[in-house]
Amino acid sequence: MRTPRPLPTAIAVIGVGAVVAVAVWRPWESTADAAGAPPQITVSRSQCGQGWTDAKTGRQTFTLHNTGDAAAEVDLVELSSNKVYAEVEGLGPNTSAPMDVQLGAGQFAFRCLIEDTDPITGPVTQLQGDAKGGPAIVPVTKNDLLPLVKQYEAAVSTGVADLVTKTDKLRDDVDAGNLDAARADWLPAHLAYNSLGAAYGAFGDFADKIDGTDAGFHPLEKGLWHNASAADLKPIADQLSTDVHGLQNELPNDQVDPNDLGLRAHEIMENALQFELTGEHDQGSGTTLNTALANLDGTAKVLAILDPVLKPRYADLPAVRKWSDRTRALLTAHLNTPVAQLDRTTRQQLNGAVGELLEKLAPVAAICEVRRSS
Amino acid sequence: MTGVGRRSFLRGALVGAGAAAVTGMTVTADAATSISLPFHGIHQAGIDTPPQRQAVFASFDVIAADKGELKDLLQTLTDRARLLTAGGALPPLGITAPPADSGVLGPDMPGDDLTVTVGVGASLFDDRYGLKDRKPAKLTAMKTFPNDTLDDSQCHGDLSLQLCATDTDTVLHALRDIARHTRGGMQLRWRVDGFQNPPRPAGAQRNLMGFKDGIVKPVPADFDKLVWVGKGNGEPAWVEGGSYQVLRQIRMLVEFWDRVDVSEQENMFGRRRDSGAPLDGNSETDVPDYPADPTGTAIPLTSHIRVANPRTAETAASQFLRRGYNYDKGTDSVGDLDMGLLFCGYQQDIARQFEAVQTRLVDEPLVDYIRPVGGGYFFALPGVRDSNDHFGRSLLA
Repeated sequence: MRTPRPLPTAIAVIGVGAVVAVAVWRPWESTADAAGAPPQITVSRSQCGQGWTDAKTGRQTFTLHNTGDAAAEVDLVELSSNKVYAEVEGLGPNTSAPMDVQLGAGQFAFRCLIEDTDPITGPVTQLQGDAKGGPAIVPVTKNDLLPLVKQYEAAVSTGVADLVTKTDKLRDDVDAGNLDAARADWLPAHLAYNSLGAAYGAFGDFADKIDGTDAGFHPLEKGLWHNASAADLKPIADQLSTDVHGLQNELPNDQVDPNDLGLRAHEIMENALQFELTGEHDQGSGTTLNTALANLDGTAKVLAILDPVLKPRYADLPAVRKWSDRTRALLTAHLNTPVAQLDRTTRQQLNGAVGELLEKLAPVAAICEVRRSS
Repeated sequence: MTGVGRRSFLRGALVGAGAAAVTGMTVTADAATSISLPFHGIHQAGIDTPPQRQAVFASFDVIAADKGELKDLLQTLTDRARLLTAGGALPPLGITAPPADSGVLGPDMPGDDLTVTVGVGASLFDDRYGLKDRKPAKLTAMKTFPNDTLDDSQCHGDLSLQLCATDTDTVLHALRDIARHTRGGMQLRWRVDGFQNPPRPAGAQRNLMGFKDGIVKPVPADFDKLVWVGKGNGEPAWVEGGSYQVLRQIRMLVEFWDRVDVSEQENMFGRRRDSGAPLDGNSETDVPDYPADPTGTAIPLTSHIRVANPRTAETAASQFLRRGYNYDKGTDSVGDLDMGLLFCGYQQDIARQFEAVQTRLVDEPLVDYIRPVGGGYFFALPGVRDSNDHFGRSLLA
């Protein structure tokens, strides 16, 4: 599980007299001072980004230096488009960090985001030249994502209601000693959970209780497909149902971190590759490709919700669709085959399609990371 | 090739500089690691260029859906190989994506002396991409020889990738980068990481049986007759400038070998273990005189060097260029070491060269101590000529 990035509004350190220095370092210019220290341009709260004297387009590296006493984030912004070309986060007092950029023509300024202080936009540097700028986007803000988070929460709530119905049915089957029915009802319930996109601790402790290796769906699967008795399985099924109800009751109290939406977009399929396409999670039902398809559905749900922020920012979005479609077609064609029984070619096609999809999904998290605007 | 010489010189100079290297000569070190081998040329680098110390041999199956995607794959391979061999920090992606590269080589991504060599297997010329009539004339699937114990999961493949460089991090960085950019087009089938040993104490490197290996090589003047595929010979025109690549993963049963008397070992190879000299000579560069030893009194008639290269007029055309690497893959089920030789040979005609030699070697005494377990036949593509060219352009034209 990755370390969540704290939301900018949560930062409440009192910073006094934070100073950010920006130095331009040009290793490609052989000047007399090349052997000495690069020219230093100090910028205080009221002087953020001053001293950018060598205005030019193309590839260049700045060295940012924070001489103040509070951590800062520094963005390089093109003001007419509001696009950010580079960002250095968590630049602590008395530390330096390089900022490597590829700049085209435009009006650029450094923006210093210092704890407990409104963003400071430095002096404007006008760049002229033919060099093409590198990739840049208008940052996604918390306000952009809040309505999407609400949609996501509503979708999860609907999905959990469906999950409750299906796990209750599964519990009733086991409690009645009808294990044939339980085997038939196990899969829809398990898929209901997996289409929620519960990757990487999304549901806290409930994730392990419901779909971990030691509790919930998988021990139940193991028993159902290995001739366990109804009496042995009853406590597991009852506990699973209890935990699913617990999740439903807890849901209104759990607020989804806006950053999670972008992370979810690729982490769900990371899980599918790691646990389902390997067959690692298979406890006897041989249904891991069904699970992977449910994971793909969960991913599609997240992407549909994120579409308004992704569409204007992610040029490769059609490739996400292409590889989602290819993955879906392959999973659908081999849905009920345990992965170990797939021929090598099919398995390579599946692994390759999911692998390529993951590469195309990776930028989604970077793009959708919440950035401070005020 | 001059780049490698210069590089070696700088490395040597650094070692000699001693304390100075520690205190003030990092500039020299940077210069040494930033030397890269030319990527563009008639032939691919990594065939007749001097073998670097570290290697990755990887075989992929192509999963591109059609010929268009195959072309995209080869274009992407070309782009990555060009970037990786040239070195230099990749263009920044700002806040739009994860970092452009793994960072394993640091922010400036030195090209080191990386070579990227791409080959294609016979299976690429099946029905999938409409390339049936373009198959190199001498390309087949690797055959199974009488002493082989082949594991299909370690054999064959649609595309081979040979990555060589002085440092391990450079070749692994390149493998990760290439795989990252080609997941939808090809998938790894098998791979072997290889290394060459330093001379102990001088001359050719020793293999993991303790014997000097790769002592005899064809001279560059003969490469047009032995290594490079040219016009004619029933070959399609596009293959000109390429070379057939034979890869063989040959496990050495080193525990068994280490329990064998040294003179028996030497009789199997036909060379002294310590000096590498042929058993009728004094140093590794001495040429064995087989006509003077017709009954094999000095060098047994069954010895590896005598059978592999009898040095007759009839067998001269079966010589080829070797570029083998040692490998070490861990441990087997009885606790013995899984290590050996990743044999790599480049040639003009597999049947005339590798297969002729390997057929002569069937049942040689050494077979009790080695097990060929994997490998494949490939055709190393013609070189990428310039910045507008890409791997397989003439193949797909």
